[in-house]
Amino acid sequence: MKRKKLVSVLLCVTLCVTMLLGCGSNSTDNTGNNENGAAASDSEAAASASTASTDTATQEHVTLKFFTGKIETIDVINEIINDFNASQDHITVEQEYQKDASNIIKIKFAADQAPDIMTTYEKGFLDEGKYMDISDQSQWWDRLTPTMKDLCTDITSGNQYRVCTNMTMAGIFYNKDIFNELGLEVAYTWDDFISNLETIKTNMPDVTPFFIFGNEAWHLGHLIEFLPQGYIKATYGTVAAETAFMNNDKSILNYGAADGAMAVFAQNLLDMQANGLINADVLTATSDNCIQDFANGKAAMFSNGMWCLSSILEANPAMESSIGFAPYPAYMEGSNAVILSAEDSGYCISSETKYKDEVIEFMNFLFRADNQKKYSETLKAPSAFTDVEAAWASATIVDEVSNALSSATNIGFTNSKPAGFSGDDAGRLVQELLAGNYTAAEFAEAFEYNWDEGMK
Amino acid sequence: MKDNKIGMHTFMALPAFFLYAVFFLYPLTKGIGMSLTDWDGISAAKFIGLNNFIKFFQDKRAINDIRTTLLFALGSAPLLNLVGLAYALLMDSKIKGKGIARMIIYLPAVISPLIMGYIWYLLLQPSRGFLYHLMENMGQADSFLNWTAKYSSSMLVLILVNVWQYAGMTMVVYLAGLQAIPVELYEAAKMDGASGIKSFRYVTLPLLVPSIRINVVTNIIGSLSVFDIIMSLTGGGPGYATESLSIYIMRMCYGSKTGYSTAVAIIMFFLILVPVLISMRLTRAKSLE
Repeated sequence: MKRKKLVSVLLCVTLCVTMLLGCGSNSTDNTGNNENGAAASDSEAAASASTASTDTATQEHVTLKFFTGKIETIDVINEIINDFNASQDHITVEQEYQKDASNIIKIKFAADQAPDIMTTYEKGFLDEGKYMDISDQSQWWDRLTPTMKDLCTDITSGNQYRVCTNMTMAGIFYNKDIFNELGLEVAYTWDDFISNLETIKTNMPDVTPFFIFGNEAWHLGHLIEFLPQGYIKATYGTVAAETAFMNNDKSILNYGAADGAMAVFAQNLLDMQANGLINADVLTATSDNCIQDFANGKAAMFSNGMWCLSSILEANPAMESSIGFAPYPAYMEGSNAVILSAEDSGYCISSETKYKDEVIEFMNFLFRADNQKKYSETLKAPSAFTDVEAAWASATIVDEVSNALSSATNIGFTNSKPAGFSGDDAGRLVQELLAGNYTAAEFAEAFEYNWDEGMK
Repeated sequence: MKDNKIGMHTFMALPAFFLYAVFFLYPLTKGIGMSLTDWDGISAAKFIGLNNFIKFFQDKRAINDIRTTLLFALGSAPLLNLVGLAYALLMDSKIKGKGIARMIIYLPAVISPLIMGYIWYLLLQPSRGFLYHLMENMGQADSFLNWTAKYSSSMLVLILVNVWQYAGMTMVVYLAGLQAIPVELYEAAKMDGASGIKSFRYVTLPLLVPSIRINVVTNIIGSLSVFDIIMSLTGGGPGYATESLSIYIMRMCYGSKTGYSTAVAIIMFFLILVPVLISMRLTRAKSLE
């Protein structure tokens, strides 16, 4: 009985001590990165501990955290990181990938666990001072194309807080074989675009004229980004439009108007759905479904960015010469066709990092021309550096993209969206529209209401 | 001697109390404090009183989410209990192949609800899914519905998938309860002339009350806090049609409305607490009878 009692007491004491130990902070942690690290993952904790312990000792070795949400570049970045880690002995870089990076980074900021380098960027975080001003890094800016430098410049302060190494384009992918067979031309106006879709529907009943993978809200959000918001960006110019988005300038945005760009866009979408010009399973179709149908000739057109090129070629390598790329047709009176030509692969440095010099050293290595060539060819996106000659796509596709870019107004991404109304939220509203819950006018009003609420 | 025992027992409870305090009391009090602010997760929080709670009841989307969550729970919790009990009664009877049947029924419960949702999504996809091709081979492709594209049918699918997945768990609890009922009681009832239905009504059901209580409470909690199965099967859509309160909280939190999402989490806590307390009280009264 006494032994049982003793064992019980010992167990109880051990449990208490273990739990109290678990609550203790790491005495060697003076990085400021992991003071409230209750939610940190094991790997993060280990990385921080390693950083901290070495930091306090001799400043000889530093571990940098590189945070990304770009699944397509994990391997190539790891390759570059490994080369960098092997090239010197005082810095180790560790890459962390998160599928939901734009949201996970919020938790990291809130928990004071900001990574040293990150590929996520939000204007809201910039306004909160989360990113380091890198305007003085002339070794990067001197090599970047002027357009890309402008896209990396914060319109409020005129400074640069991120550097983008690549360009990306988004527009309408089309099957050139189908177009040639039916004698179709790329459409620059909405009427011509609809006429093309009607021709495909009539002559090829088994082919979906225009595929929308509406199960993925981001895709529908992109349609808003490139069409109604694209119209605003093309009409008023990048800076004026961004300022209007940021300040919710209703005289420019005009979201709720029954005859505004948003309502017309919604009506066009409803008409396409009613006339069978888009896939019947629009609300449940995924990106994979779209790629498969397009690669197998079952879909004639779809909207997406250049980032899907590798998936199409993976699904059907023989299709390379049949892939066409066109701008979004003008759908408002007096407007032009638009195409997204925007920054890609942006890198920000945390304003809280204690290792600015080491971060710069790594980024200098990452931005070396040979590494950027490798990166661009993997990503299948042209480099933004003037000294990088990358064969990012076949000559046919490069020609298609060049023609599309020169034939339409180039627009960028909308970087000043309300924090409480993301692109995905906008996409979910489009789902409601396609599910028959809104008329075009109601949709426009709902969009304006949600945008305003998101601003609060 | 008695005092000594109390002291020892109190001491023994310390680790449990410590865990309870760290993982429940502290987050709860911190959460209540946070719910009274406009914290966006980044900048400094400002005290705004009960504004978040008032805003919640003025938000049409939030009200729709309560409706969706309650509908899901109302469909799911009773069905889970009925199906689980039916399975348990079947498994408690003298049929062949009970072992294999029990395993097949329980198997879905050990698979992650996220994976389960994705599997069903792929099965149900129109023009592409397994069920569509099955019906196509039977010449019935035209009658295949896009189940997850409409509110009513997607809600039905969500409830059925949830019941299919967790009925095995409910069955296990009922089976344990059934097997604990002494055979003598059934024999006595039979001698008194009780039929099968009467014996179920007057012997089985009263003695199953503890199992019913466990199942009802866990199913209410599980159904009202549903997240993963909806997230993977419909993503809360189309639009916000099948968005549950848990998904709403997550989206608000990620949408830089951390204070507001905490307030909604507290509302949800009470939304779950009330039916749980009611059902516990009802089943307690029943067991006392």
